Amino acid sequence: MGIDPRVAGAQRYSVDLERPGMLHAAFVRSPHPHARVLAVDASGVPSDCVTLLPDDVQDLHLYGCQVRDEPVLTPLARHAGDIVAAVAAPTAEAAKAAARLLDVRYEELPAVFDPVQAVSPGTPLIHPDGALSAGEAVSIGVRPLAGTNVCHRFRLVHGDLTAGFGEADVVVQQAFRTPGAAHAPMEPHAAVAEWEDGRLTIWTGTQTPFNLRGDLAVAFGLEEERVRIIAIPMGGSFGAKTFVRHEAPLAALARKAGRPVKVVLDRTEEFVTLNRHPSVIRVRLGAKRDGTLVAKELDCWVDTGAYADCGPGVATKLGYAGVGPYRIPHVRVDALAIYTNLPPNGAFRGYGAMQSIWASERTMDVLAERLEMSPLELRRKNLLRDGDVFATGEVMHDVQFERCLQAAADAVDYERDPRGKGLCVLLKGMQTPSRAAISVERAGVGYVIRSAACEMGQGVRRSLQLMGAQMLGCEPGQIDVPEPDTDTSPFDTRTTSSRSTHMMGRALEVAVRDLRASGGERGYGEVHNEGGLDPDTGQGVASTHWHQGAAAAHVTVDEETGKLTIEHLHGVAYAGRVVNREGAELQNEGSMIMGLGTALFEAIEFADGQVTNANLSDYNLPAIGDLPKRFTHELIEREGAEVHGLGETVLPPVPAAIGNALFSLGLELHELPMSAERVLAAVDARDARAAAADSAPEARVPVAVDGQGLSG
Amino acid sequence: MGGGTAVEWLAPSSLEEALALRAERGGDTTVVAGGSFLAILMNQGFVAPTSLLSLGKVQELRGIDVVDGELRLGAMVSHRAVERDPVIRRDWPVLSRAFGLVASPRVRNQATVGGVLADADYASDPPAVLCAVNARAVLRSPRGVRQVAIDELILGFYETCIAEDELLTEVRVPAALGPAVYRKFRSRSSEDRPCVAVAAARSAGRLRVVVGACAEVPQHYPDVCAEGADGPIDDAVAREIGAVYAKRMAPLSDSRGSAEYRRRVVAVEVRRAVEMVGADGAGNGAGREGAGGEE
Amino acid sequence: MKLALELNGRPTELECEPDEMLLEVLRREGLGSVRATCGIGVCGACTVLVDGEPLSGCLTLAPKVEGREVTTVEGLAGADPVQRAFIEAHGFQCGWCTPGFVLTAKALLAENPQPSEAEIAEAFGGNLCRCGSYVKIVDAVRRAAGEPAGAR
Repeated sequence: MGIDPRVAGAQRYSVDLERPGMLHAAFVRSPHPHARVLAVDASGVPSDCVTLLPDDVQDLHLYGCQVRDEPVLTPLARHAGDIVAAVAAPTAEAAKAAARLLDVRYEELPAVFDPVQAVSPGTPLIHPDGALSAGEAVSIGVRPLAGTNVCHRFRLVHGDLTAGFGEADVVVQQAFRTPGAAHAPMEPHAAVAEWEDGRLTIWTGTQTPFNLRGDLAVAFGLEEERVRIIAIPMGGSFGAKTFVRHEAPLAALARKAGRPVKVVLDRTEEFVTLNRHPSVIRVRLGAKRDGTLVAKELDCWVDTGAYADCGPGVATKLGYAGVGPYRIPHVRVDALAIYTNLPPNGAFRGYGAMQSIWASERTMDVLAERLEMSPLELRRKNLLRDGDVFATGEVMHDVQFERCLQAAADAVDYERDPRGKGLCVLLKGMQTPSRAAISVERAGVGYVIRSAACEMGQGVRRSLQLMGAQMLGCEPGQIDVPEPDTDTSPFDTRTTSSRSTHMMGRALEVAVRDLRASGGERGYGEVHNEGGLDPDTGQGVASTHWHQGAAAAHVTVDEETGKLTIEHLHGVAYAGRVVNREGAELQNEGSMIMGLGTALFEAIEFADGQVTNANLSDYNLPAIGDLPKRFTHELIEREGAEVHGLGETVLPPVPAAIGNALFSLGLELHELPMSAERVLAAVDARDARAAAADSAPEARVPVAVDGQGLSG
Repeated sequence: MGGGTAVEWLAPSSLEEALALRAERGGDTTVVAGGSFLAILMNQGFVAPTSLLSLGKVQELRGIDVVDGELRLGAMVSHRAVERDPVIRRDWPVLSRAFGLVASPRVRNQATVGGVLADADYASDPPAVLCAVNARAVLRSPRGVRQVAIDELILGFYETCIAEDELLTEVRVPAALGPAVYRKFRSRSSEDRPCVAVAAARSAGRLRVVVGACAEVPQHYPDVCAEGADGPIDDAVAREIGAVYAKRMAPLSDSRGSAEYRRRVVAVEVRRAVEMVGADGAGNGAGREGAGGEE
Repeated sequence: MKLALELNGRPTELECEPDEMLLEVLRREGLGSVRATCGIGVCGACTVLVDGEPLSGCLTLAPKVEGREVTTVEGLAGADPVQRAFIEAHGFQCGWCTPGFVLTAKALLAENPQPSEAEIAEAFGGNLCRCGSYVKIVDAVRRAAGEPAGAR
């Protein structure tokens, strides 16, 4: 075998695609965050170019993975960067130049950029006609609120909240915010679309080939079999390359051109293609004097931007993950996925869990302080254990929260000296319901394993080879894992949610048994996970198995500038059984590093709906020098356990662990990222409180400010 | 790029030839030193030069020499060369340090001493430190030669006093007679550009403190620095200088910090820089620590 | 215009425009390891070695490498000890940024065969890996430097 193509520089991605006779596309994007397209004049475009104009898409339909609200070309720009026309030309440069020659006239409309504002009365509606609920079998029914910008409302009701708070001796309340963030995979979005005999083929870097096929079939009014998706390995994705992105206008352009067309987005376009949901989360948490949690209320405003995409699913997961891994008899969650005039927000490593875990786990430390109790002890006292019932009604199994939490605490020697240290423990679900199928075929010297599990650097190919080798009794190198192709790969829900190794591993066991039982050339295996939550009560099956993890941080602060130093960061993930050790370690390390960026400096900045830092100099990504002084992690394993996904378990706890470490120093941070500037403001606030307490020593100064509003 | 009408590539091999071309073409040709900043502008579509005048083959612009104790850096000397040169490391360590803190090794291999001054980007590291060590830029044209101080050279955002027929050919740095520091405060990633940069130098009893990355041009208040002219600088003086710099400045806001935040940090970082150079008496040659460096 | 250089060890003459970046010219030559990513020289995914020193392909006007030695990962032929170290240390995930890291490591080790941790961090400051493989990349450099792998 030769050297790994990724190290040899020989790996090819969707940007490298070539098809005979191919043209290159550029998109024409609205400069306005909310504007009606009045006219498009293409008369200045050179004759060797093909233009895609509103008239060309009259026969096409709205699409969307959870709400069908997105047009192939929009007559109504709902965010700055929305695609209103497209051009194909012999070269990418010529296409870009021609796109600039298209003259689009707009009528600007009032716009809204904040999710709380977007649900206040009198706010302009971004999808005034409402939207259809998706027919697709997603985990949730979609519950739009008619006449508002809410495209989905998820509620969870467990016990009696009023009674619960009535039992509480102490109640704390706090609002938290998180900003939009860029997935910023190194590889931009790219694809080639080609039509032949009315059949569409797209080569693209995607995590969701079957969803893409289904959605494009809807958009183009085709049977699904008339659409073929070939999923090229990705140069990173982190949720960015999910569902339909650039592929829809590209396919329409290729249809008009009658030739294959390729597009590669530039870095600026990446910032208006798909981002992470900004959120506002208000937590109210009540406990008995001894620390027993009795009631929790979560109100979540989840900004899904101009189109729903998977915002309903994100709001749902964010909602129940915010309950946390605790026994709480009375819980109410109200999570709204809200349209605004920002670019669409979608799946982002963690799928909403980071946002609510940040709010929820920060609140735990606020409560601990009010109770004059150790944050570790408060958590331990309330953690879910095997056989406990979670707020969704599920009975917990294979529960490892305490082990995870204790390992994190021990790593930073928390019990000896908690100053400057913070903890976070989390529960996160896996996409449920879901289905995975796989086939294994005998080949010349080994086997071919076909599935729709997409490679984006997480090592799913390698994991399939390793698992297959063990089950089939051969060498990993004797197993060929071709790239997913919806024409030949068995169905899979999608490569998200840290589910591939778990689901595909189980399906592969079935397939190998089938191969042996039949004695033939091909074995087929399929597994289904049933479940889902009722969107109005939050009851049901959120997840057939739980992602469990924890983090601990030790920080020091330059109190004159607010500059943080992370002395030590430790992440813990429950792995069950490890399939690919180096791959698992890389997933942990990568998740924590992304979590560091989220915690410390990543935020997309907007001015009137325009991204003002759409480049990798003004939007910093964590670099090697940003690693904490000590950076450690561990995988908790248990003999006989099932394989647990690891792709995103230790991203969500990082911001809260760091925030709690600051809180132990009296520094209260409620908004991400915890920039030096915000930390310095927290130093000022702490010193002001201390000064007030000195001047009026008899007055009790609450450290946790009750009733803090959304402006907090 | 690479399309449309042909772009002219001028690559003179002597300074005389380069000066003649520059004088002849003036603003119709774009001077390429390292070319990193120009390339960023071209990649973003902000500029599309029709003629490029590359100084890459002009050997006279690549010298690193010491003449009568004065350091002479050719305009085409790379940041990397300043960082690594043994003489500069020994006698002007603050320059090695500051140039070594610019971006990445790749950028430092490309970016030049002349280019970074001629670009006058407010968030670059070298202008503040060169201003603090009292460097002068040599500007040449067929009309003659003139030397300008750094705070005379840089006039505003991406704006200098270099005339359309002039080339910045050299930077001259007087002998370092005392300690100097460059403090690069980054508010975000370790790889970010500075939020606040402070260069401070003490030489022959004179204190120069220059703040970079906070305003259109490096900020230098000689009257405030005069307070630290003689003798050891105590903490109170350092604090006072920091406070006055912060108060007098009108900092800008960007992704790296708001104006108000920068003002706070300026007070702190100026104080720290002054403390570092003020600790050892009048600074007559003692302690060549150019270190300091980072927050 | 004609551009004569030594490309991956072979004297080569290429066609380029004066205002073209080296990145474009190399990709046109089929050197797909040099990858357009940030366009502003901050990420390192288009790193090339010019006379052994790393440069950003996206910021280098092609005519500037006239007469110089340009190396991409394709020129290492896969047998390079640094590449082997990256494989042994599992110092990569999606692979997009990996060629840039490999070349930067080669330049670092050529200048400083036993770099300290701080020197490694400094040398890789301008190479971004969004997958976050940094810990194992540092391990790879240590391996290539002949040190035993160790946890950070």
